[in-house]
Amino acid sequence: MALALLLTLAGFPLRSPAPADEIPRLTFAQLADSMRANLDVTRGIRAFNGREVEIQGFIIPAGPPDLSFFLLSRVSGTGNYCCELPSGQDETVYVYTARGTSLRYDPVRVYRIRGRFEAGHQVDPSYGVSFFRVRDARVEEAVGARIFKVGETKGP
Amino acid sequence: MTPVAVVWRYLQGRAVSSALTVVAVALGVSLVIASVLLTRGIREGFIAGATDYNLIIGAKGSPTQLVLNVVFRMDAPTPNIPLGAYEDLRRDPRVEAAVPVAMGDAYQGFRYVATTDAYFAPFPWRRHAPELSAGRLFRSEDPGKPDYEAVLGADAARRTGLRPADRFFEGEEMAAYPLTVVGVLRPTGTADDRAIFISLPSYWEMNEISRHAAVRPLTAVLVRPKRLSDLTALHRGWNVSPEFQAALPTAVLLNVFNWLGVVEDVLLAVLAVVTVVVALYLFVTMYNATLERRREIATMRALGAHRATVLGIVLLESGAVAALGGLAGILGGHAIAAVGSSLLAARGGPVTHALAFGLLQPVTLGAVVSLGLLAGLLPAMLAYRTEVAEHLAPF
Repeated sequence: MALALLLTLAGFPLRSPAPADEIPRLTFAQLADSMRANLDVTRGIRAFNGREVEIQGFIIPAGPPDLSFFLLSRVSGTGNYCCELPSGQDETVYVYTARGTSLRYDPVRVYRIRGRFEAGHQVDPSYGVSFFRVRDARVEEAVGARIFKVGETKGP
Repeated sequence: MTPVAVVWRYLQGRAVSSALTVVAVALGVSLVIASVLLTRGIREGFIAGATDYNLIIGAKGSPTQLVLNVVFRMDAPTPNIPLGAYEDLRRDPRVEAAVPVAMGDAYQGFRYVATTDAYFAPFPWRRHAPELSAGRLFRSEDPGKPDYEAVLGADAARRTGLRPADRFFEGEEMAAYPLTVVGVLRPTGTADDRAIFISLPSYWEMNEISRHAAVRPLTAVLVRPKRLSDLTALHRGWNVSPEFQAALPTAVLLNVFNWLGVVEDVLLAVLAVVTVVVALYLFVTMYNATLERRREIATMRALGAHRATVLGIVLLESGAVAALGGLAGILGGHAIAAVGSSLLAARGGPVTHALAFGLLQPVTLGAVVSLGLLAGLLPAMLAYRTEVAEHLAPF
């Protein structure tokens, strides 16, 4: 209850209240909105610090090839650059994966990351400055947007 | 006579057949062990040899070729890029470190890599910056005054026998440009061990084309951004140019691993078939042996041996053959992997020491013995059901 009040006071867009055992899902829009002009983050997003969260995005392999570390971004890093501008610090999550993580990397596939969330400025000796981090992350392929067959929807 | 003694007699009695079965099991197991160790060694070799730089800028073309050539010194170099690209990157405020690299020919198979002293800089984010074990780094940074100094990787120094102060060249046309060894690097477990590093001014003077060219050529620039989140913007910025490409080395390696994964899957299917064939061979051998011994088994039973003892004897024999074959196969597999990895390493392939002991060995032995017991189960049941009266009757 206190958390909900805190989030509301911080102007954080609260979606339908999740049951206690359900992992909250954070979106890149929420992360970008939480960045302040002074490069701090809102109290609303800090409320998730230390909690298990889920975030979906593209993997940018910026760490070693054992994928113990990578960036999760709103935009694919190796797409054909047709559609979207590259994302910045506010739309990048620094992901430290749990031991023994193995996955088949696909640059244009969306992955679902679940792990311990951290928000706030931090400098890592190996990976530099970050604002959003997920530690002990488990990674799996996310199901993409729903594809509709013509005729299934009512249409405009 | 104890069951163990009976099994020993049985094995001795069919020495050739038993030995051949052990060899068959050993060959199957060694194939499995060698395949697992070698594929794991290659994967770990690529991981150990990976660069700490996050982005490689080179000429337009295949990112796989660019990364394999610049980081692992495999494949042919991509076309040249002008030195201006490096200067642009050095001035870019988003870039923490930019290191120019030009790939040259080779001396006795060890590639010349022209670069600056920044290549050896021990940044805190580097896992294995090359360190000197003897001598010093090359000096020359003035484009007009090359001093033809060379720093050798550990393997290159060991295999060529070159030491600091030695002068060398390969091919008559290079006689006018002998290099002087000024330093030797410590082993790093990367492709740097097999490189001969020279300065860019030396490279430009030794290179017949660049000697007269107005534009100084490079093969690639290794880039580390100040903020990793700028990686996508840098990557895109360089990739949209018609001249250059930017490659994420880890992404290229992960694609290589995806291909390696397909090969591993095919290998797994082949190994599964091999396992079934070996298990069937063991089963047929044990079944025939038990059929031949039905009279002996009936005698043992008539002398008071329990059915369970007879069952145990056959299972013990099958398990013993599997265990012997398994042990020999594990040793043989390690020998094959050792030879394979040293052959691969001698050709410059990225492979780590393949002889690591872990769960693989006990799990394999356990699985082989279990499979041996399983193969012996039906023959053992046959022995268990042997009727004394039927098989002791005169012929």
